[in-house]
Amino acid sequence: MQNVNILGYGVYVPRNRIAVSEIAKTWGKNPLDVEKSLGITEKSVASFDEDAVTLSYEAASFALKRANLEASEIEVCLVGSESHPYAVNPTSTIVSEFLGVGRKYLAADLEFACKAATAGIIAIAGLLLSGKISYGLVIGSDTAQSKPHDVLEYTAASASAAFILGKQEDGVAEILDFASYSSDTPDFWRRDGVRFPSHGGRFTGEPAYFTHVEGAAKLLLRKIKMKPQDFDYCVFHMPNGKFPKIVAKRLGFSAQQLAPSLIIESIGNPYSASSLSGLAAVLDIAKPNQSIFMVSYGSGAGSDAFFIKTGKTIGKKRALAPLFSEIIAEKHYLSYVEYLKQGKKI
Amino acid sequence: MLSPVKIWRNQKKVRALLGIEGKVISFTKIHVPPAGFIDQAPYVVALVKLKNGKGVVAQLVDYEDKHLNIGQKVKTVLRRTRDAGEEGVIPYGIKFKPVS
Amino acid sequence: MKVFILGGATTKFGELWNLSPRDLVKEAVSEALSDAGLTVKDIGAIFVGNMLSSSLGGQDHLGAFFAEELGTNAAAVKIEGACASGGLAVHHGILAVLSGIYENVLVVGVEKMTDHKPEEVAKMLMGAGSDPERESGATFPGLYALIARAHMKRYGTTEEQMAYVAVKNHFHASLNSHAQFVSPINLEKVMKSPVVATPLKLLDCSPITDGAAALIISNKRPKSGKKGKKHTQVSIVASAVATDTLGLAERSDLTTLSSAVAAAKKAYDMAKVKPSDIDVAEVHDCFTIAEIIAMEDLGFFPRGSAAKAIWEGKTRFGSGRPVVNTSGGLKASGHPVGATGVKQVVEIYQQLKGVAGKKQVAGAKIGLTHNIGGSGATAVIHILKSFK
Repeated sequence: MQNVNILGYGVYVPRNRIAVSEIAKTWGKNPLDVEKSLGITEKSVASFDEDAVTLSYEAASFALKRANLEASEIEVCLVGSESHPYAVNPTSTIVSEFLGVGRKYLAADLEFACKAATAGIIAIAGLLLSGKISYGLVIGSDTAQSKPHDVLEYTAASASAAFILGKQEDGVAEILDFASYSSDTPDFWRRDGVRFPSHGGRFTGEPAYFTHVEGAAKLLLRKIKMKPQDFDYCVFHMPNGKFPKIVAKRLGFSAQQLAPSLIIESIGNPYSASSLSGLAAVLDIAKPNQSIFMVSYGSGAGSDAFFIKTGKTIGKKRALAPLFSEIIAEKHYLSYVEYLKQGKKI
Repeated sequence: MLSPVKIWRNQKKVRALLGIEGKVISFTKIHVPPAGFIDQAPYVVALVKLKNGKGVVAQLVDYEDKHLNIGQKVKTVLRRTRDAGEEGVIPYGIKFKPVS
Repeated sequence: MKVFILGGATTKFGELWNLSPRDLVKEAVSEALSDAGLTVKDIGAIFVGNMLSSSLGGQDHLGAFFAEELGTNAAAVKIEGACASGGLAVHHGILAVLSGIYENVLVVGVEKMTDHKPEEVAKMLMGAGSDPERESGATFPGLYALIARAHMKRYGTTEEQMAYVAVKNHFHASLNSHAQFVSPINLEKVMKSPVVATPLKLLDCSPITDGAAALIISNKRPKSGKKGKKHTQVSIVASAVATDTLGLAERSDLTTLSSAVAAAKKAYDMAKVKPSDIDVAEVHDCFTIAEIIAMEDLGFFPRGSAAKAIWEGKTRFGSGRPVVNTSGGLKASGHPVGATGVKQVVEIYQQLKGVAGKKQVAGAKIGLTHNIGGSGATAVIHILKSFK
């Protein structure tokens, strides 16, 4: 497969944080127990005036800078989220309007829990490979909501990650192949009109996350005839701090291959932006000509696995916009009460 | 409910003001808000002179107390502005964020 | 220019739960007509100053509304310019009599603000500002707070100096039986009042008020008094209006209201008087900083020095000249938005006529009113002179 290149990428994380210990204290739980069992210490929290649209705009702006493209050159915009501001009225057109994409483009919103955006990557790859377009923008963006006192409250976070894909070969990285694994597995869901999601507790583990991540990973490895040791980095969807480490080990990846991608440890789980932010964090530090193995996961359920190789100009390109580590350096801690206040959208 | 037509006509104005740096000319922290902004208070409203010479009044967000100074450098960002209510179209507009 | 004032009156200002806008206007107008020795049949046209009847009360067409209430089919129209609606109504009344088409004109300013919650009123008052200002969640205290902070930075004006404006005006209001607030206050009370929009506190801000004021003007010299005696009459010798940008963002200098400077210059030229000729003035102290800036815009004190001058009592009843806001101003007498501009003219009329009671400034011969719309988008200045 040729000519599916990542020309630019961008990530945005809201400034607010809430510590896991602050949430645990509120509910009378031992903070250390929670931190240990979930492998997370704090998560990002969107301000009352931020949403999937505003976060998408920031990340996409950075992606355009790295790609050195005018927004008007974008021909497709796909936005994946579980927190689209409207049930009907696409996030993708609102974001595109503010970016200045113009009128001559295709827009669509995607939903597949935490992997909506990676489906978008594959769709745009198809349009590029068929020669129908030259440039496409895909964004994963979420301001994830969780029910107070539910275990998801510790991890559901906010962030966005944007990728501009095109045919040019001097990009940040190239997407060399992909494979998907899907089934009807209701591990985590949200009914229309209901504010907070529900989940099947431990059902979200083996039959859901692990079955699909491992399923897609093995499908791709077999397809490209490669082994985990052949890669420099791996990225897995991060619903908590433990699952990605467990699945990496099971598949045969090392802790060192995984480590740079673990954005869960600084910002929690931003749903549709989770694996893509992990990828961005890896692109922030990878050298040219290195290989990355990424597998997303979306409840419901499915995984998309990708084989990515970094390009020659990655060093120069990533310097054109803030790195993930620079963006998360600016943070402001909220009390639980302030967290509740910010969570009420205007 | 806010007029979707007015929100739509306003998009160009908003786009033209995004991502521009400026300096705070004056600011105030509003403790007694008008209807529609009740649950946001207290919040800071600032008058900023942008690099392109234009003056703009908007909220200041993501700030620390140390940023509340005349002369503070800021940049414009995209945020939700007015209360859309349960059913209305959501207005997006300009707010300011401090830059070092 | 010489327009004669035949009569004037105001209602009490305050939270007047039992009185509707009709009641308020009927009361003010009947008293003004009585003061003038006229009936409504003598009135050729009615100008109604009001801002919020539509947005708060759902009632447009206020000219016809009050003409009917007053029992006349005379020409009638609502004049709106935010908080300068009253002053603008006076201005248009003057244009009407000077045109020669109408001999006697009634100007009435009225506002009913307490029928709705304060946060609703605050939102509707922002109709006087720009859309971006509304979108930011700014309130009028917020906009004047932006102005105050700029004035403090530029001239070193302090919060205490601003607070003293409220102290002075509450003292004046204690002498005014029609004022909303009857008790004097001290500096500590102002400084400790709750913060509304930094640096302005509750007692830096004029209140929400109901009230009406009526003025009867004419192009015909009034008849002599009973027994043919000549008594003091009052005429309006200048009426000037200027505008500036709607919003603060488009202003070049936050520390002055250039509309007021421009209108005042026009007025002084029209009346052929200087600032130092003014004995008594009613100025638009919607917020304490506004009075300080008004002193400078009107040329009473040099830029940056008015706060200190006010602090030293230079505009206070009993010690100062010009004596500013004998009614208590907007701050202490109350600010029924559309009525204020008319009430200011009535107050100066009563001062120059010598019927201002406990707050009478001895020997006042030349007076000025300063009425501002929004954060300075409209300014209306009137100069009045007494004559025998």
